[in-house]
Amino acid sequence: MLTLPSGGGMLNSFETLLLFYAVAGTAIALYARKFGVKSDDEYYIAGRNVGGVISALTYAATTYSAFMMVGLVGLAYASGVGAYGFEMFYLAGTLMLLSYYGPKIWKLSREYDAVSPAELIGKRFGKSTAVAMVIISLVALIPYTSSQLIGVSLVIERMSGISFMTAISISAVLIALWAFIGGLRGVAWTDAVQGVIMILSAVIAVVYVFSLNPGFFGQVSEIGDLMAVPNRIWTPQLFIKLTVPWFFFALTNPQVFQRLFIPKDEKALKRMVVYFGIFGLLYTVLVTMLGLMLRVMAENGDFPLLKDRDLVTPTLLSAMPEWMGLLVGISILAAAITTANSIILSLSSMVSRDVFKNQMAGRASILVLTVTVALFASTRPSYIVELAVMSSTLLLSIFPLILALIHTKFSRGLEAVLVSFLTGLVLRYLKFQFTGVAVLAVGFAVLLAANLTKRGKIG
Amino acid sequence: MRAVEFAAVILAMLVPFIAIKTHDMATYIYWTVVVAAYLAYTAFRRWDVEQL
Repeated sequence: MLTLPSGGGMLNSFETLLLFYAVAGTAIALYARKFGVKSDDEYYIAGRNVGGVISALTYAATTYSAFMMVGLVGLAYASGVGAYGFEMFYLAGTLMLLSYYGPKIWKLSREYDAVSPAELIGKRFGKSTAVAMVIISLVALIPYTSSQLIGVSLVIERMSGISFMTAISISAVLIALWAFIGGLRGVAWTDAVQGVIMILSAVIAVVYVFSLNPGFFGQVSEIGDLMAVPNRIWTPQLFIKLTVPWFFFALTNPQVFQRLFIPKDEKALKRMVVYFGIFGLLYTVLVTMLGLMLRVMAENGDFPLLKDRDLVTPTLLSAMPEWMGLLVGISILAAAITTANSIILSLSSMVSRDVFKNQMAGRASILVLTVTVALFASTRPSYIVELAVMSSTLLLSIFPLILALIHTKFSRGLEAVLVSFLTGLVLRYLKFQFTGVAVLAVGFAVLLAANLTKRGKIG
Repeated sequence: MRAVEFAAVILAMLVPFIAIKTHDMATYIYWTVVVAAYLAYTAFRRWDVEQL
């Protein structure tokens, strides 16, 4: 049985580790700077010269955020195996999209000499469409990035005497600093180190929790229909609502889309996808297993039965041996920082290349965006998972353009992206169940109508 | 051909919704095997980019 501590003792150790983490990350970012950050090509996509292993680790660390160790552990704890299925659908979809579209996008980014995701879209659909994509990305990703800060700040607050607001400030400084100093190469290298920490700490946490309840596999049926789908929580409607936006994540979220530009050659690109898949499978198994094991322990009275699923991981951390709690806590911080600074850097590249066409504006936007995200996070809006899904739903409006870029010679995209984005905003406000599906349907319909009408006029 | 591959993977992922009703680790293990198999297929098949 886990014993919850009465408090104290953790503060100095955590602060010391946090300081070491900040210094080490800053040193890596400073070292990366020596390899060149002058041109946009060097600063935002590391000169298109990143090897397969680093590309895979930065892709994984960017994709897998604080949502995994905080949100998904809690979701598996509260809702059972459906949480694993939801995440496995995401991974299978990502492998499909990356293995088919990845090579095409990698090649197109070189042919068009595109640095930012919106730039690639703008080469075909025009500057207005590129600017619209930047605005949509900004609107959609501010809540998503804020969810990272909320997740990690809850953990820091629980583990130490640091207040929620101070934790948000510390996270925000690290996000802006590493992105600003080292550009994408700095972010990729710090991502790689942190990705290893994320996997190692998850392995240690699972081994520890399993050691407390070695009979888990025999007892798992005690949580009943939570181990099958559909069930009272994972209805087909909920599954579609959550899965559709995440299924297309690899092509709709600029921070991961842009990583398709960075592998140095074809072999590095393939390695990036395959190694990312291995990382993703392993990390998802570990994280969801943790949630399920804690739920079985809760049913047995060996762990608190929590109503707020976002408190599952913080409660576990406070009950672990100190060194382990510190390691897992830092891994959550790492997961949040790696995702957030990649988003901020990607948004900055679009502000720099597609809106102002000015390097200084791009660099300044790193600071402005980080402050905006921190302010949004400080209001703690809604649940972490809901926020993340809202972002992915709104970004689905970009998906029809990306397919059209690859499969058609269409050149009009502004109408489609704007109408589908507005559809997403309105339907989310009305709490419509299938907003993601509607965004895609409207986007494709308007795209076809706009381009076929244009062809008709020309003909 | 690629559409058939995508459809096969998605249909395989949907099987637990219809065919697995036990309350043990069967659904969990099934999804793990499907994704691991697809990952292995992705790793070993020849990509378009390798034929450039």
